[in-house]
Amino acid sequence: MSEQALLKKLAGAVSNLDPPGAKAAAEEALKEKMDPVEAINKGLVIGMDAVSDMYADRRMYLPQVLVAAHAMYEGLDVLLPAIPKADLKDVKTAACGVVQGDVHDIGKNIVKTMLTAGGYIVKDYGKDVAPGDIADGCKKEKTQVICLSTLMTPTMDNMAKTVALLRENGYRGSCTVTIGGPPTSAAFAVEIGADHRDESAGNCVKWLSEHKPKGGN
Amino acid sequence: MAMSCRDRVLAAMHCEPLDRPPAAICTTCDTIDMMDCCGAPWPEAHSDPEKMARLGCAQADYFGLESVRAGFCLTEEAERIGCKMRMGNKTSSPMILSHPFNYDPQHKKFDDPSKLAEAMPLEDFVKGGRVKTAIDAMEIMHRTHGENYVVFGGNTGPFTLCGHLLNAESLIYSVWTDIEMAKSWVAAVAPYCHAFGQALLDNGADVVQMSEPSASTDILSPDEFKVMSKPYVKKAMALKNGMTILHICGDTRGIIPYMYDTGVTGISVEEKVDSYEAVKIANHRGTLVGNVGCAFPLFKGTPQDVEAAAKKSADAGFNLISAGCGVPIGTPASNILALVHAVKTWKPPAKG
Repeated sequence: MSEQALLKKLAGAVSNLDPPGAKAAAEEALKEKMDPVEAINKGLVIGMDAVSDMYADRRMYLPQVLVAAHAMYEGLDVLLPAIPKADLKDVKTAACGVVQGDVHDIGKNIVKTMLTAGGYIVKDYGKDVAPGDIADGCKKEKTQVICLSTLMTPTMDNMAKTVALLRENGYRGSCTVTIGGPPTSAAFAVEIGADHRDESAGNCVKWLSEHKPKGGN
Repeated sequence: MAMSCRDRVLAAMHCEPLDRPPAAICTTCDTIDMMDCCGAPWPEAHSDPEKMARLGCAQADYFGLESVRAGFCLTEEAERIGCKMRMGNKTSSPMILSHPFNYDPQHKKFDDPSKLAEAMPLEDFVKGGRVKTAIDAMEIMHRTHGENYVVFGGNTGPFTLCGHLLNAESLIYSVWTDIEMAKSWVAAVAPYCHAFGQALLDNGADVVQMSEPSASTDILSPDEFKVMSKPYVKKAMALKNGMTILHICGDTRGIIPYMYDTGVTGISVEEKVDSYEAVKIANHRGTLVGNVGCAFPLFKGTPQDVEAAAKKSADAGFNLISAGCGVPIGTPASNILALVHAVKTWKPPAKG
């Protein structure tokens, strides 16, 4: 199969919501000696981009996005281990987490998916994460982008605390912080000293591509 | 003679013409200031019927709102059926930590819905836990405030409760991959929602307000709402001897007619739907409740912002002026009072 046809197959498996198809296409790409980075960026990511656009336009909804994300990860699970370590040193890094006090993580999981589709290696801190865990972990690992999420208003303060701890530990100037979740707003992002707030995970990744992340490796 | 708060809210629920709508928050409204005023804070007010009733009445007793309402979270039913919980503290709400059933659409491993009745027989459901707390609170609130105020009781919608029990992300995923399995689970959950709603009414509530946030259009398409939520809300809200309100978060423009199709007395919508557009889409099919924004202006705005939003909802023709969703507990007292003041001093816009 030609490289173009394989890339189309990878993208199609994601946008057609076919996890087994994505895994099979990724295995086929490796068998055909395709560069795994190219298979990800010009195959899986293109498919996820299409899904992201359809979600933004309300032509797809969350059930379809979750299945598409599963398809992408099925492909990534095959392709990522095949990338030579030397090729990973310039990769963009991001962290995502739901702040302490909140366990609603669907939004965070979508952000993780879109960041991965945007070419980031993402560390998922999970849900109900203490401000210090994110602030210190990201400083230690020199994470470039930190995405904080919450569904609930009482836990918004823990977003502020996380950003405050990043200032305290001296890493705030070296990273980009974005926030999201229904109770947050652009004004709240300014108030707590985050760089950006977005309603949509896809738009957040587009914003990041237009605003080069700070610091990192 | 001035109209009582109760008569005004009942008239509004029946869409009768009024000189002004009531300021009546049918979604949760139990701020820290309210907890302090009445001496019934979280987390005790989630589990103690007397404290739940006291906090539920604080909105009328101290803030001039024209109805009373309890409980204060969407986890009572899930905990009763078997979810492990963290009950939180004065400023953090109860949270579900684990789900009692296995439901893994990625690996096609599903518990059968019959396990639900094994875990919690329907006939026992309303007899214990915080479900019973809320039912008992209705009796107290009816006794202490029912003569002058409409008593709202809250319950959780079947798709949302099902997500609590199975893992919401897995349930939502399966709407695409295993829709019949998803439907069979939501169908099995709906009778529990019905039993709770009926018990709330039977014990003193005048209105049951169901919240179904997981069926928001941020999650399900309108077509998916029609098959995954609407029929089960309809069964769960087919209640006797009382009225019903269905609340769904987000931009509900695409599902407002379907929300009314469930047969509820009224619906509650957020500020993500423009007030005028909501009234137009609702097309007088039933009571319309809302839609003053919770994060903004109630939580983060000024009293002037709140007054403007409340007046807009009233100008547009909402029957009850309420928060668009659950009121954040850190909402300043001045903003609640601004909502009440704006509604109580509202005059219909001049025609012309």
